[in-house]
Amino acid sequence: MSYVAIKGGGRAIAAAAAVTEYLRTEEGLVGTAAEPLEINAILHQLRHLVDRVISEGGVYHPQFAALAIKQSLGDTLEAAFALRAWRSTRPRLSATPPLDTSRMRLIRRISSAFKEIPGGQMLGPTPDYALRLLRLELLDESPEAFRAVARDWLENCPEARLPDSFPKVLDALRAEGLLPPVSAARSQTAFDITREPLVFPVPRSAALATMARAETGSLLAIAYSNMRGYGDVHPTVAELRVGYLPVLLPHPVTGELTEAGEVLMTECEVVAMYEADKANDSGGKPMFTVGYGACFGHNEVKAISMAILDRALQKGMKDGAANPSEDPEFVLLHVDGVDSMGFASHYKMPHYVTFQSDLDRLRTTQSKNREIA
Amino acid sequence: MNLERKDWIRALTAHPATELNTLADQLTADCDVKFKSLPQAGLGLLTLTDGAFHEPYFLGEFPLSSCSIELSLSDGRRAAGGAQVMADDAELARSLAILDAILAAEFPGWERVSEHVQSGALQRSEDDHRRRAVLAATRVDFALLGNAGEDDDAD
Repeated sequence: MSYVAIKGGGRAIAAAAAVTEYLRTEEGLVGTAAEPLEINAILHQLRHLVDRVISEGGVYHPQFAALAIKQSLGDTLEAAFALRAWRSTRPRLSATPPLDTSRMRLIRRISSAFKEIPGGQMLGPTPDYALRLLRLELLDESPEAFRAVARDWLENCPEARLPDSFPKVLDALRAEGLLPPVSAARSQTAFDITREPLVFPVPRSAALATMARAETGSLLAIAYSNMRGYGDVHPTVAELRVGYLPVLLPHPVTGELTEAGEVLMTECEVVAMYEADKANDSGGKPMFTVGYGACFGHNEVKAISMAILDRALQKGMKDGAANPSEDPEFVLLHVDGVDSMGFASHYKMPHYVTFQSDLDRLRTTQSKNREIA
Repeated sequence: MNLERKDWIRALTAHPATELNTLADQLTADCDVKFKSLPQAGLGLLTLTDGAFHEPYFLGEFPLSSCSIELSLSDGRRAAGGAQVMADDAELARSLAILDAILAAEFPGWERVSEHVQSGALQRSEDDHRRRAVLAATRVDFALLGNAGEDDDAD
C-alpha cells in the first residue's frame, strides 16, 4: 500500500465542518421554538444510546457520551471515537481491586434456566414482553403529560422490602457440583488492552476486556453465526442482571475500601453443553460449561453475545477453532467499532498512488493480452 | 451520625459539587491546607471478577479525581483527609478531602459537614428505594402452564 501527501482543501474541509454544524442547527430556520438538544435530555431520554457509547468508548462518562452523541448527530461509532480520543488525553490514576458483581444494586434480574431462583426474578425495565408497535401518541407528547408519567409511577410504586444484593445463580449451580470448581491456578492478573497489543494467544482476560468495549452489532453478528449453526454453544441464560455496581477504591488515609461512585452495567452468565474435562479440577466428571459477558450500561444483547462468544472462544482455545466464532484472532480483531469504522473510513481518503498503480497494471495486462491474441 | 467514613463520599456527592466546594472553602478560612498529593483528574481502571471462573479482567475506565491533604489549625492540631471520587473534577476531590479531614478530626465546622453527610445519605437511600421499587413492581412468578393458581391478568 502506498500513500502520497497532498495539500490544499483546507477551506473546503473547514466548510464541510460548518455545513455539518448547519445541519445540526437547521431546525432553527423553520421553527421559532427550536432549541438545542440538552445533554440531560440525551442522558435520560436516549439512555440506551448513551449506554452503547460509554460501553463502546470504553469509558464510563455518561455526560461526555451524551455530548459525543450530540456533536456526532447520533452516530454511535463517531461518538465512541470521540470518547476514546478524550480518554487518551487523561492520565491513569488508579485501578480498583477486582470487584464482586454480586454487590450490584439491581434494577433487573432474570433467569431462563430456572423459574425460581434465590431472591426471585424481577423483570425491571424491559421491552421483552411489549408489543413492538409504534406509540403514535408520543408524536405529540405535551411537557405536562411527560412530567406526569414518572410522578404518577412513583406515587403508586409498591413498598419495596428487598435486600440490597442478590446471590448468583451460578454459585448455586457450582455448589451442587454442576459447574467446574473455581481453580486457584487460573490467572489472577488482568490483561490491559489499552496498554498492551493483542499478540495471540491472548489470556481470557484480554478477550473479556476486548469484547466488553466491542461494537454491539459486530459482537452480535459473530455470536449470531454461532447461534444459527456455525458453532454449538447452545446457551441457557443462568442469570442476566442489570444494576449499579459500587466502584470501590482504597481511602487515601485509612486504606479502607471506599465507594468512589457507581457504574450502571449489564452482566450475563450462560451455561452451555456439558462436557467431561480432565484438564479442570472436576477430575473428568461431566459438568456444564459456562460463558460470561458484561458491559457498561444497559445493553443485554451485547452481554448475551459476549457470554456466548466467551464460551465459544474457550472451546476454540482448547480444541482448535472449528468455526469463526471459536477463533480468538478472528473474533477479537474484528469486533472493535472504532478500529473497524476507521479502516472502512480510510477508503474515503485519497488513494491516488495505489489506484494509479492499479490502472497501470490493468492497462499493461490488457495490452499484453492484445499482443498474445 | 452513624455513617462510617467509607460511606461519606457517596453521601456527600449526592450534593452539587459547587455546594461542596463552597462549604470546604468556608470551613478552611482559618486553616492551613497542605497537599499530601495534589488534586488531579484522570481515569481509573475498573477491575471485575468474572462470574464464570472468578478471574479478574478490566471492564473499562471511568473518570477519577483524587487528592490527599493535611489540615492544621493555629493551636497546632492536625488532621489528614483524602478522597477518590468518580468525577472529572480535581477541585471536587480537593473539597471532599478537606471535608473528610474536618469530619474525621471533628475540626471546627464538622457539624455542618455531618449535616451534609446525613442529608446526602438520605438522598442516596431514596435513590436506592426507587431502584428497589423497580424490582418490587416487576417481580415475576412464572408458573408452568396448568399449574398456575391464578390468572394475574385479572388483577
